[in-house]
Amino acid sequence: MAGEPAHHELSVRGTAVDMLSAGAGPDLLFLHGAGGAGRWLEFQDRLAGHFHVRFPSHPGHGGSPAAEWIEHISDLAFHYLDLLDSLRLERVHLVGASLGGWIAAEIAVMASHRLASLTLIDPVGIKVEGWIYPFLFGMDIPEIVQTVFHNPMAALALAPPDQSVETLAQQYRQGTAIARISWNPYLYDPLLRRRLARIATPTLLCWGAHDRLAPLDPCGQVWAKEVPGARLRVFPESGHVPHLEEPGAVADAIVEFCGRGEGPR
Amino acid sequence: MKFYYFHLMPYVMEHDEPSSWVTLSNRLYDPKEGQRLYNEYLDQLEYAEHLGWDGLCVNEHHQNCYGTMPSPNVMAAMLVRRTNRAKIAILGNGLPLRENPLRIAEEVAMLDVASGGRVISGFVRGISAEYFSTGVNPTHSRDRFYEAAELILRAWTEPGPFAFDGKFYRYHYVNPWPRPLQQPHPPVWCPSQGSSETVEWAAKRRFPYLMVFTPIKRIAQIYGEYREACERHGYTASPYQLTVNLPIVVAENDAKARALAEKHVMWVFNTGLRMHPPFWRPPGYMTEASLRRFLTSPPPLPSELTFEEADAQGYIIYGSPATVRDKLRVFSDQLRAGIVCSGMNGGSHEGTLEMMQMFAEEVMPHFREDAAIDETAGVGR
Repeated sequence: MAGEPAHHELSVRGTAVDMLSAGAGPDLLFLHGAGGAGRWLEFQDRLAGHFHVRFPSHPGHGGSPAAEWIEHISDLAFHYLDLLDSLRLERVHLVGASLGGWIAAEIAVMASHRLASLTLIDPVGIKVEGWIYPFLFGMDIPEIVQTVFHNPMAALALAPPDQSVETLAQQYRQGTAIARISWNPYLYDPLLRRRLARIATPTLLCWGAHDRLAPLDPCGQVWAKEVPGARLRVFPESGHVPHLEEPGAVADAIVEFCGRGEGPR
Repeated sequence: MKFYYFHLMPYVMEHDEPSSWVTLSNRLYDPKEGQRLYNEYLDQLEYAEHLGWDGLCVNEHHQNCYGTMPSPNVMAAMLVRRTNRAKIAILGNGLPLRENPLRIAEEVAMLDVASGGRVISGFVRGISAEYFSTGVNPTHSRDRFYEAAELILRAWTEPGPFAFDGKFYRYHYVNPWPRPLQQPHPPVWCPSQGSSETVEWAAKRRFPYLMVFTPIKRIAQIYGEYREACERHGYTASPYQLTVNLPIVVAENDAKARALAEKHVMWVFNTGLRMHPPFWRPPGYMTEASLRRFLTSPPPLPSELTFEEADAQGYIIYGSPATVRDKLRVFSDQLRAGIVCSGMNGGSHEGTLEMMQMFAEEVMPHFREDAAIDETAGVGR
């Protein structure tokens, strides 16, 4: 296990980024989902036992200030390519969960050559016939927990520390940053699905068996079909966020996948 | 003081659903009942002109039982041909909610021409819930509002055709027929809840500011900010730039008025504005500065407002004609509001018509020092 993560304040092409990092080994970039910014939990700790993990907060999330210029999901993808450049990282293992998975997929269709591997944990981001993502913006907290988690106790890890004006304003800022890129179309980029065939890096899909936001059937199945050679792993005790619900198992799956020698280490 | 009759056109009903907006199923709407209500409400607006009201107000709301006018321009069109003196105030059209706001320039110009220049054109962003009903991104709300307003004002005032290349709206040919009759364009009003950004925007353009369903202390504060902003822009606000919208209930005596207000006015707040909490605060609809102001002293949710609070904080005016006159004096003399917009509810169509008559005969004549003044002269454009 790694110790306490180090905290960094970066400037990526003028955009301020708050980032955590820990561990040693091959470089791994983790892109969080909604509400996950700055939450260094068991999952990240496990990965840091095998990788040099970098865990930035998206602009407008956690400790990263809002960036008005980010209006489209591709802006975030370019932002992270810029971050790799500024950290002088030629290739990384890229891991993204939910919204972070969407960003990771956008990066992969643009620049697979920058990726040693790609892991998508219950990503959103593509339109799947027969499925409309439940509208989390219209839900109160209990409804959101019910939709996102199979094990509601896992949600406690993301609970806000208090109900202060500061905390509520930060949550509003996060919601605003997400809404700017995904209110409508909601949680997908109409162009992404047909581009997934461009992904040319070994890809692991981790999926919660009980995901109610982006269910394994049909969403996970469609991703498995569209990403060339993707391997699909299902986590039986998880909903939309297996890295929070079964952190050890998901981390092990990633370690195992990245160690298979399919990509350069 | 000028009096405008304001109608929400509610579909009054009791229900146990968590929200009267967005998700309240429209299977609860009975079109036969709706037919009766629309016609009674239009009768009330026409009667208001007959009784001496200066203006008739309609407004836009979507997917709720609070106000069943998704298109205020449709209702205004019905009034145009059935009235001949009163202003017709559309308070307002939700500019950002339209994918093609040039339609607003066209529709309002049609109404202005057909009415002989009686139209007042309110520009609003639409309330929070409407971003759930329309799919419009709430983080674009403010920018779309400003851009659509600029487009509409230019469409009314610049000879067409011209090209418009905005961030949200783009046209190679802006050239609406008809042009409005009023010159340079129909007066524009800004109904709002008092965000400092909107106050500044309206004051700069001499657009009257309308406070809707707001406690009197906050009205006084926002009026102060508006007047200051006008001075900063080099002029003194006319009283007709300061407008208030609040329910008025008048009856033979205070007790009877109170009973009517407790039942019918409180329905508007407690049931009509009952909203699933996420619908109040879509992300990005407010600036972070406005959000912090709101969080620092949050007003009560309308659904939780008690009659005693509404009464004490001046959300409503009710009482005998003498009491109502006294309470209105606060608005005319202390707040120096030039125009009062109010709807009435007497519990039935007949009761409402009687209440309107009592108000017109026993209250209105006491506030008519300015009868000869045209409240739209020099403001709103």
